Amino acid sequence: MSVNPEFQTRYEGRAWTFPANIPTDALVKSRYVFDPMEEIVKHVLEDYNPRFPLEVRPGDIVVAGHHFGQSSGRAIATKALKATGIGCVVSSAFSRTFYRNCFEIGLPSLEVPEVTEFVEDGDHLVIDLVDGLFRNETRNIERSVPPAPPFLLRMLAAGGLIALTQSDPDWAQRTD
Amino acid sequence: MNLVEKILARASGRESVQPGDVVVAEVDRLVMHDLSAYLTGKVYDERIGKDLPYPDRVVTVFDHHFSPPTEQQADVLNRTREWTARRGTQLFDCGSGNIHNVLMQNGLVQPGQIVVGSDSHTPVHGTVGALAVALGNDSHAGTVMPFGKAWFRVPELVQIELTGTLQPGVTPRDVALWLVHELGEGSVIYKALEFTGDFIKGLDFWDRWLFPVLCVDLGAKCGYVEPDEVTRAFVETLPGGRVDLLVNGDGDPVEDVRRFDVSSLPPQVAMPPTVGNVHAIGDAVDTPVQWAELGGHGGGRLEDFRLAAEVLRGRHIHPGTKLNLVPGSREVFRQALELGLVAELHEAGGTWFPPSTGSNQTANMGAMSAGEAMVSTHSRNFPGRNGSTKASMFLASALTVAASALEGKIADPRGYVGHGGAQ
Repeated sequence: MSVNPEFQTRYEGRAWTFPANIPTDALVKSRYVFDPMEEIVKHVLEDYNPRFPLEVRPGDIVVAGHHFGQSSGRAIATKALKATGIGCVVSSAFSRTFYRNCFEIGLPSLEVPEVTEFVEDGDHLVIDLVDGLFRNETRNIERSVPPAPPFLLRMLAAGGLIALTQSDPDWAQRTD
Repeated sequence: MNLVEKILARASGRESVQPGDVVVAEVDRLVMHDLSAYLTGKVYDERIGKDLPYPDRVVTVFDHHFSPPTEQQADVLNRTREWTARRGTQLFDCGSGNIHNVLMQNGLVQPGQIVVGSDSHTPVHGTVGALAVALGNDSHAGTVMPFGKAWFRVPELVQIELTGTLQPGVTPRDVALWLVHELGEGSVIYKALEFTGDFIKGLDFWDRWLFPVLCVDLGAKCGYVEPDEVTRAFVETLPGGRVDLLVNGDGDPVEDVRRFDVSSLPPQVAMPPTVGNVHAIGDAVDTPVQWAELGGHGGGRLEDFRLAAEVLRGRHIHPGTKLNLVPGSREVFRQALELGLVAELHEAGGTWFPPSTGSNQTANMGAMSAGEAMVSTHSRNFPGRNGSTKASMFLASALTVAASALEGKIADPRGYVGHGGAQ
């Protein structure tokens, strides 16, 4: 796999935890979808933690429970989460459209089973997407998980799906 | 190979595929609604911009708005109209009906095809034996529009086998609601689901429709019913319907089979806050409802109005309850007119709305004040989706919706339908 040298595979940051089954409606409510992104980011996940959109810092890591990003497959939900400045998002199991959208729009994501069991708000986390590494430094807990398929990592490395199709004319053939 | 694998292999030019493979396949149809088309078109114009090579594969249905209530919404629809005209894609404008109902009724989905869409209920088209998957805007703008293709990971298959015969007053929608509870929300993430068994095979096309529509809530990528004589007969009624595209699996044994018997099932209600919070109707009866609605992604079928009329014929709804009747398509409304259902439900106190997705997401109708409640055939019941986060949405069968409208509170429909009645 050829990885853009600027592509970062390792992320380190402060955790924000969220419960299971959060729908994309909670990331971007339908009444905000046509608003400018500067406005949309002020409301991301506000119903679950009103402090999150106000206090999130660049490089923070969102850690969510089972089936994160369920319901509507709107890509704007992942775009808005990325626009908050977070470094990456971890879930015990993503909803499939949300997971797909993460790679397509260039938001690094990693699935770590039961992750909410061993992370609290504010914990210091280290993640490596290619090595499949998850470490909670605050609690000294480490997990090894399978990394995403090479096609998805290639997409992320290119900066998203559209960037991949524009930078690699053979994108449709190189799926293994 | 199963049906999904066969379709993906054919459309990606491979002899065979297996679960876990990532393939790029030809897409036959992209369908978007008024909440997704504008953003997708914007991404396309900003980042791709060239002429669409296959504009006829792209269909937009304005289904959340039958008449925009604000200037901002009118502007978004107008920009989308302008985009579809400029790009030469197909548009079904306000008043056409629900996105999926319109696509199917117009013959724009055929068995064996690949259909993608932004709407999370897109997998419903698996009912006809198509591979139907919800993708995000960047897939649509980045690969489907400029190349006519999309990437797919081949999913593992889970068979859902339903057997038995329903009790009077219990409908296929009750089974569908119950199944989300039995399997669990997000319980089969990424899987393909095959709905089978003598119960499923005994249903007509529009009742089968209620099963693949569940995929999103179960977490599945797609779902289907293997094409059979029911499928064939239905497809032959469609404009340009092509039965030569039918694909069936090889009948290979499936490792993961979940079996359910529907015979002793009572009517079911999905109570807030999620579609998996399903209870036997006894737990919900007597909850006051100010609103009742037949409509939505799985609702607004002719069958829903037929069932409601069985309960409401010659009766009148409760004075404290409003009954919204929202046909899934113009064809449904025409048939309801011909069968006299429009007049019967009007006389019973119901209000007919234009063909659309009704109160889904409150784009055009269906907001509730704190403390209000609605019982409906919709597909979602998250708090805040219909106005106040302190309002409640209950999901139930058309019979239960009708009986509840009559009593002004959630009511068991079994008191209103005779033995051997509505099924």
